[in-house]
Amino acid sequence: MDSTELAGRLAEIVGERHVRTAEGDLEAYARDATPLFRHRPDVVVFPGDAAEVAAVLKLATELSVPVVPRGAGSNLAAATVPLAGGIVLVLTRLTEILEISAPELLARVQPGVSTRALAEAAAGRGLLYVPDPGSQVVSTIGGNVATCAGGLRGLKYGVTRNYVLGLEVVLPTGEIIRTGGRLWKDVAGYDLTRLLTGSEGTLGVITEVTVALVPKPAAARTGVAYFADLAAAGRAVAAVIEAGITPATCEFLDRTCVAAVEDYAHLGLDTQAGALLLFGDDGDPEMVQASLTRIGQVCTEHGATGVTLAESVAASEELLAARRCSLPALSRLGSLTILEDATVPRPKLAEMADRIAAIAARHELTIGTFGHAGDGNLHPTCVLDVHDLDAIERSHAAFGEIFAAALELGGTITGEHGVGAAKLPYLERRLGADQLALLRRIKAAFDPAGILNPGKLGS
Amino acid sequence: MAGDKIFDDDLLSRCMSCGFCLPSCPTYQLTGEEASSPRGRITLMRAVQEDRLDVTDPTVLAQSQFCLGCRACEPVCPAGVQYGQLLEQWRDTEWQGRRRPLLARALMAMMSWLGMAGITLLGLVRGAAVTRRGSAAAPHLMLGCVERVLYPRVSRSARRLVPALRAPAVQGCCGALHAHNGESAQGRRMAQRLGKQLPGTIVTTSGGCSAHLTHELGADRVVEFSAWIAAGNGPDPASLRPIMLDERGKPLPRHASGGRPARIGLQDSCHLRNAVGVWRQPRELIAHLGEYVEVPNAAGCCGAAGSYSVLRPGDSRAVLAPKLDALAELDLDYLAVVNPGCYRQLAGALKGSRTKVVHLAELLATAAD
Repeated sequence: MDSTELAGRLAEIVGERHVRTAEGDLEAYARDATPLFRHRPDVVVFPGDAAEVAAVLKLATELSVPVVPRGAGSNLAAATVPLAGGIVLVLTRLTEILEISAPELLARVQPGVSTRALAEAAAGRGLLYVPDPGSQVVSTIGGNVATCAGGLRGLKYGVTRNYVLGLEVVLPTGEIIRTGGRLWKDVAGYDLTRLLTGSEGTLGVITEVTVALVPKPAAARTGVAYFADLAAAGRAVAAVIEAGITPATCEFLDRTCVAAVEDYAHLGLDTQAGALLLFGDDGDPEMVQASLTRIGQVCTEHGATGVTLAESVAASEELLAARRCSLPALSRLGSLTILEDATVPRPKLAEMADRIAAIAARHELTIGTFGHAGDGNLHPTCVLDVHDLDAIERSHAAFGEIFAAALELGGTITGEHGVGAAKLPYLERRLGADQLALLRRIKAAFDPAGILNPGKLGS
Repeated sequence: MAGDKIFDDDLLSRCMSCGFCLPSCPTYQLTGEEASSPRGRITLMRAVQEDRLDVTDPTVLAQSQFCLGCRACEPVCPAGVQYGQLLEQWRDTEWQGRRRPLLARALMAMMSWLGMAGITLLGLVRGAAVTRRGSAAAPHLMLGCVERVLYPRVSRSARRLVPALRAPAVQGCCGALHAHNGESAQGRRMAQRLGKQLPGTIVTTSGGCSAHLTHELGADRVVEFSAWIAAGNGPDPASLRPIMLDERGKPLPRHASGGRPARIGLQDSCHLRNAVGVWRQPRELIAHLGEYVEVPNAAGCCGAAGSYSVLRPGDSRAVLAPKLDALAELDLDYLAVVNPGCYRQLAGALKGSRTKVVHLAELLATAAD
């Protein structure tokens, strides 16, 4: 079936207004936020509800046409690039917050709702939606669940999977199922909610999400500590945790990242320092104050060259907002920015930082590193010239070595961005052949025709 | 097309496709479609630059027209992409000959047919450009071609507030309209000519003109009226009389006792806020005039967008619709504007409503009388 015919069949399902086949529209959906990956789909479709999603998937299974579900396309692992063409199924029409239940501490939302919109709606009811990915202004809840997004509150509170209570999911064969529900305690059956969280659009299409909320902490503040280098900051983080403190936020940025963020946000950060540690806590105001003071002390005892605590809520929020922009701010330094994602056990943080620096030096690359220090989650980011093909080659080699180093230190190849197409070549080294084979059998059970997001997990 | 690049490579490569711009974009809010987002449009520009799409591609043309050019994507871009400049470069190539929207062609033709003398004459007919020479050392007040014709009270109010301002009748158009409609070289020439006609500091009462002139003549020569007043030129804002209303919302005479302060909101001018960075100052001034009420999404485009409301009335109304809902709930006495396009758009839409749309200069002059 050619793409005109396919578009016709899709138009019968969603209406002609919600189908795109023009070259320019296909080009716009040929990529997401991942550099160096691009492939045009044959058709883009915007379903308006779960029934339409089901009909689209059923048709795709019948015709063996690949389908890539997509939200805002802010992922950094090429998880929404339609590598095999076919249909890009965009969920931006599903943007309703269906329910916020304060007594049950939960929200029920459609997948196209942005993380920020959900957080604001929850805050309006005195509640907190905990997961806090850096791209929250644009990222969608559906995408957050599909990739099990992390973010700035991981250390104390966990990540997206710790807050997903239930899902409505359309299977590739067209059935609509509901996994989990509104309960914390529910052990009836395999935990498909967890299996689908982080499945990156390879097992089903999420059409509704029920998330747990928590009461909004009375206070939240941040502070900044400066260090000679990232490794020193990493050692201080380990010391803070060992001292029995679990900050809500514990982020670090190296010199390169501090300079880029300062250039964008003009916060008066010390750009001379080798590294910055941004720490924060929330809860009872007095407890927060005590916690931040104690973290500052431990940092000073472990080599911090300066510590300041944000004086106001606004100043705290500015610092966090600036941190969320680290990646795009880095792109001021070059025409191509490749951000990666690796995680190591917390005590290995300093060693990993040193290894990244050594790998960058050996390959003569500029690699700025920032990340969620509290989680051992680093984002080494290579900034280069898009026309320098040799440097791009070297960056691939460097990242290969960085992932190998993470695995060697007992870590993983991705802490929060997901595998997508970008990390697929490294997956077997993380999971082993037997587990990978099991993953493929699971994929086949959900998606017998292999239509959902081919070239990604389960392929 | 090789060797004949449409876009400045440095500008185009700044975007790293993070998508942080998406929620700020009014057209993406309408459609949820990538191609109608700033990131998507830059993807299209790149495809054109790299010969994967032709300039005549229907989506490329449609998107160059659908964009409001409000530049709300610029201040939220951590990578510092200068989208406004890319849009001008895009339209310079895209909107040639028959590809330029029909009405835009008519509008531009009218501008060149009218010429400067025509604009001046229209202004005179409307009684806007009554020249007072003002103080020789004082800045020049720019009358603006649209504003002097549609809203002559704005420049009159500005001069009433600061009599020293010089406002010669013979002054041209700044060329913003041309720059935004595929004639950026012409737009630049017109700005330069105006710069010569009005030597020294130029004070503008139009956000759109202000942004274009600031870009062409430099921030040291061009200053927007509310920023200029807030910076201590003209009367001390604290000396202004709060605008008091009776229980029916009618203005009370100066010496009447009682009443309540007017509830005043502000619609930002997109270009003033996003390109020049002026948004605090008008709010500070309004706080002296009455009860300042923040309009939800005041920074979001009202759909006027220069000539957009004329070229694409349907889309313009769709962009405006959520703002009207928010305004209905606020039940303001006055909605202040700082740009003639917003003035026209909102005054038209709020006709018959209790909320009166006025330029901030008019409100200030009322409070100073």
